[in-house]
Amino acid sequence: MFDIDWRGLVVPLAYLVVLGGTFVTFSTIYRKRKAVESANLAPWFGPHLQRNIYLSLLHLEPENGSEKTPKVPDSVLRAALLRRAVEDIRRIIQIRTAKAACSSLLQRGSVGDDLWQRFQRAEKEVEDELRDVVMEANALSPNWGQIIFQSANEIAANTALREQLDDITKQTEHEKEWWEKRRAAIKSEFLKELEDESEKPTQAKSVAGSEDSEPVLVDTNTPSATPGGKKKKGRK
Amino acid sequence: MSDLDTFTLLPLRIDPQSKAISSAAGSSSSSSSTRALEAELAALNALHRSLHGLEAPHTVPPPPVPVNPKRSANVTKLRESGNNEYRKGRYAEAIKFYTLGLQMALTRPMWEPSQLVREEVHQLYSNRAQAHMQLLNWAEGAVDAEASVEAKRQGNAKAWHRRAKCLVEMGRFEEAREWVGKGLEVEGQEKELMEMLKEIENRSASSSSAASGGGKA
Repeated sequence: MFDIDWRGLVVPLAYLVVLGGTFVTFSTIYRKRKAVESANLAPWFGPHLQRNIYLSLLHLEPENGSEKTPKVPDSVLRAALLRRAVEDIRRIIQIRTAKAACSSLLQRGSVGDDLWQRFQRAEKEVEDELRDVVMEANALSPNWGQIIFQSANEIAANTALREQLDDITKQTEHEKEWWEKRRAAIKSEFLKELEDESEKPTQAKSVAGSEDSEPVLVDTNTPSATPGGKKKKGRK
Repeated sequence: MSDLDTFTLLPLRIDPQSKAISSAAGSSSSSSSTRALEAELAALNALHRSLHGLEAPHTVPPPPVPVNPKRSANVTKLRESGNNEYRKGRYAEAIKFYTLGLQMALTRPMWEPSQLVREEVHQLYSNRAQAHMQLLNWAEGAVDAEASVEAKRQGNAKAWHRRAKCLVEMGRFEEAREWVGKGLEVEGQEKELMEMLKEIENRSASSSSAASGGGKA
């Protein structure tokens, strides 16, 4: 009565097995790929050089020949930690400025999911890094953790300001040279006018230009007219 | 995530006397990463030295807000002396004082407020620009005024005006016009700058008409 027709069931069973097998294979491969991908996501920031230096100083190895591990004075460690905090400030500023842009780009679908993943990971990393720095700071000097980032923030701002000012003041020599040359050129061109009237070279030129049409001044205006044309070319 | 527990061990060496940190890798290899390391170590050593300059009770930089008034007083004094010389008409002396003041202000420890530095530096640069202008050193004046604007963009109409003036005196009308345009954007309808713009228009018009008149002849 309950005689099962195994032969007839072979086809549907085989179908189920194949279907299940496909699902399993697909999901394992897909997950593996996903995991590999997210592990291989490029980090948002490059290597943290200051952090590496700080930690390398903590784990300084004995030099060749001597057994003793060299002792790094606390002041050096403090300086290294402060450098690390400055770099963290730079990173956190970058993260904050990028965040709004990044999320709006993601909403519009202009950037892929992996970028957003990288971004969030970087954000979390920076947060952990800050906490770590505060802990280290407190260990090096009581209550330093509360103010180390204030100091680091000012250091970052001051460094940026100094760089900008240096960039500008560096031009001084160049500008001076240019102006010396320029003035010498103007002087030689308008020597006569400068002697006659102690006015500015441009005005002297305009006088020469306006008197252009008068036939009486033909002799004096030819030398002044040609440099005028030259000067205009020089400026452009 | 994994980054938090690991780090790259760098080959560092500490000089037992000077406590200066250096790279043990040797400076013969000059790839970009070693160069970055060297630069960072130089900055570290500089910071370490400047930390030594802290006054006795502090071993770490104090919070930025209560500022040590000594340096500010010195800067103010130098600026005042500069202003006095300027009023007496001794512009070269004034420039010397302003330059000293700038040195004093720019060597302020890095962890002290940058806003304060901007405040001091913009006045000094602006005053020095004015003194340079009195000596007809237009190039130096232009650079100083630009630096002043860089230190403080808003509420610094004088510096905007001074650079424009210098550029005009050097005959760089295009640049001057652009500069004043930027200045007007930042400062609003500043009267001084509006007048400057008019002056630029007048002078560039007269010079170009002279040049074209000369070209015809």
